[in-house]
Amino acid sequence: MDRLPLKTWTLRAAWVGASLMAAAPAFAGEITIWCWDPNFNVAIMREAGERYTKAHPGTTFNIVDFAKADVEQKLQTGLASGTGNALPDIVLIEDYGAQKYLQSFPGAFAPMTKKIDYSGFAPYKVQLMTLEGETYGVPFDSGVTGLFYRRDYLEQAGFKPADLENITWDRYIEIGKAVEAKTGKKMTTEDLNDGGMTRIIMQSGGKWYFNDDGELDVTGNAALKGALDTQAKMVKAGIVKPATGWNDFVKGFTSGDVASVVTGVWITGTIKAQAAQAGKWGVAPTPRLDMAGATNASNLGGSSWYVLAKSKEKDEAINFLGAIYGKDIDFYQKILADRGAVGSLTAARSGAVYQQSDAFFGGEQVWQRFADWLAKVPPVNYGIFTNELDNAVTANLQALIAGKPVDAVLKDIEEQAKTQIQ
Amino acid sequence: MTKRLMSDRLTARLGSGLRYGLLSLAAFLSVFPFFWMLIGATNITADINTGKVTPGAALLDNIRSFVAQVDVPVVLWNSAKIAILGTAVTIIVSSIAGYGFEMFRSRLRDRIYSVILLTLMVPFASIMIPLFMMMASAGLIDTHIAIVLPTLASVFIIFYFRQASKAFPAELRDAAKIDGLKEWQIFLFIYVPVMRSTYAAAFVIVFMTSWNNYLWPLIVLQSNETKTITLVVSSLASAYYPDYGAVMVGTILATLPTLFVFFAMQRQFVQGMLGSVK
Repeated sequence: MDRLPLKTWTLRAAWVGASLMAAAPAFAGEITIWCWDPNFNVAIMREAGERYTKAHPGTTFNIVDFAKADVEQKLQTGLASGTGNALPDIVLIEDYGAQKYLQSFPGAFAPMTKKIDYSGFAPYKVQLMTLEGETYGVPFDSGVTGLFYRRDYLEQAGFKPADLENITWDRYIEIGKAVEAKTGKKMTTEDLNDGGMTRIIMQSGGKWYFNDDGELDVTGNAALKGALDTQAKMVKAGIVKPATGWNDFVKGFTSGDVASVVTGVWITGTIKAQAAQAGKWGVAPTPRLDMAGATNASNLGGSSWYVLAKSKEKDEAINFLGAIYGKDIDFYQKILADRGAVGSLTAARSGAVYQQSDAFFGGEQVWQRFADWLAKVPPVNYGIFTNELDNAVTANLQALIAGKPVDAVLKDIEEQAKTQIQ
Repeated sequence: MTKRLMSDRLTARLGSGLRYGLLSLAAFLSVFPFFWMLIGATNITADINTGKVTPGAALLDNIRSFVAQVDVPVVLWNSAKIAILGTAVTIIVSSIAGYGFEMFRSRLRDRIYSVILLTLMVPFASIMIPLFMMMASAGLIDTHIAIVLPTLASVFIIFYFRQASKAFPAELRDAAKIDGLKEWQIFLFIYVPVMRSTYAAAFVIVFMTSWNNYLWPLIVLQSNETKTITLVVSSLASAYYPDYGAVMVGTILATLPTLFVFFAMQRQFVQGMLGSVK
């Protein structure tokens, strides 16, 4: 059972030879990458690898795909065992979990503050991979959010696209009531057992479950309070079609049952798959909370690339990520066109694909709009217990809807979270 | 008297009705996932998501999509190699151990046996990281040997063989000894043939566990070339927009060998579980 293909050994030998002679700074070697989703991350990384190989013919890529939970399990085991040779050179980590790995395994990931120009990336993506002044990782796909709406339903109810620009959630609810009165359609759909909406609204208010020091920030968190209040108000106003599970949620807006949905940019492909609805959709900024510091931009999901500190090909891996993900504008056009991936490099917006207008969305420059919002997403500290807090929030949301005062609900959430994380 | 008989009969009838009802429910619960898998393989992903239970026309497309994404011969070969080699060696090692524990008496025998049995209570998750470090320091990460090695001495199979050996007639062994057979000859020429249904049952159990093994291969295997079918199916299913049609095809492919082994050895398996010695 050969552990490495012969090619690898030859390349390794070549690399050793090259470094012994120290004649040229050219790299040669194999970069191993772990990620999930064959049609998204794997395909995109393959594209990135091919681009890099053109300029660095000595470099090969070994992209291994596992399920997302499996990548996490393998990474956790490899890091906990302390054996560096059992880990890849580059690994994909979901943004919400990044701080958990950075804080639990100090020194395991290669710091890149001085090696990558982070000024080109959306600030919130850089913030989530920064720990004690040092930045690790290279930002990848963004979950920048928007308000996707049905032009036809809104028009029937007497609203123009301009009426949806930079609105507050209260206005959204008013519009929703009017839409239902005129068209009989609910304004939106939500799975109340999923913490996604809470996270969207909270981050748009510039807050998270944790403050900048990583301490629990629940009872005094105005953005979280606003997020809970808003969802309760929406349900009470009767503008929400309840969904059970992800598929039911997706069905709500793809089947024409509801007039709008606020979610990550990655849903665009799913919406556009309904060819019969071409021209009937539009996008607008995420509604905002009616409070100081609130913005019309937020995020849901996303992940980033990290280089392992013990990797033998560390320098080459960093060089690769910097060369492709750090500045290749054309690469970002390609992955957007082929895979619907919106990266986090703000300069990508100057490319041709980002500037296209989309007839499906009534001729709007959809990608330019998302690129605008991308730069405005408030940076927050995702901390290390987002999942636990999500569970505490969804467990208590029903009580709020049933009429319990919001401050008491926040207190319950904090109590429940504390028992889980301490 | 007749009244009593009638009420007895009624209770019996009610009882069997209830029994059949419960058994039908259990049968439905265990068969439905298979049914769903087969139906799913013929439907497009959108239909699978909505819970369609009638066959569709997408079977060929699903197979094509699965084959395009997965190097089928390689992953099947990997799974088969691990399962067959692992099962064969596990049964040899563990049956010899079970035989030894039953046949040879010593003061420490049952103490050692209890200690070995105690290890059944240690969850795998707790030894996973140390085991991983051992394999890493032996340079065995990303090899199939690393998957098979820790399973070779299977405590459950040792226990199973020891229990079954209790029914092995001691006279047979004594007679063989008188005839001048050495211990290994007794084991090979008398014990193994006599216990063949026990071997068959053990084969089914070990093969299924090995074929379906997920966590440990996941931790050890690091490259696309060494992955087993269970890992590949899991990877397909976790896409942001999973191609469930292809996943169903993969699941069928992952299920077929265990089904085949089970049905091929069903009779011996049942005999072996009953512990019969002819």
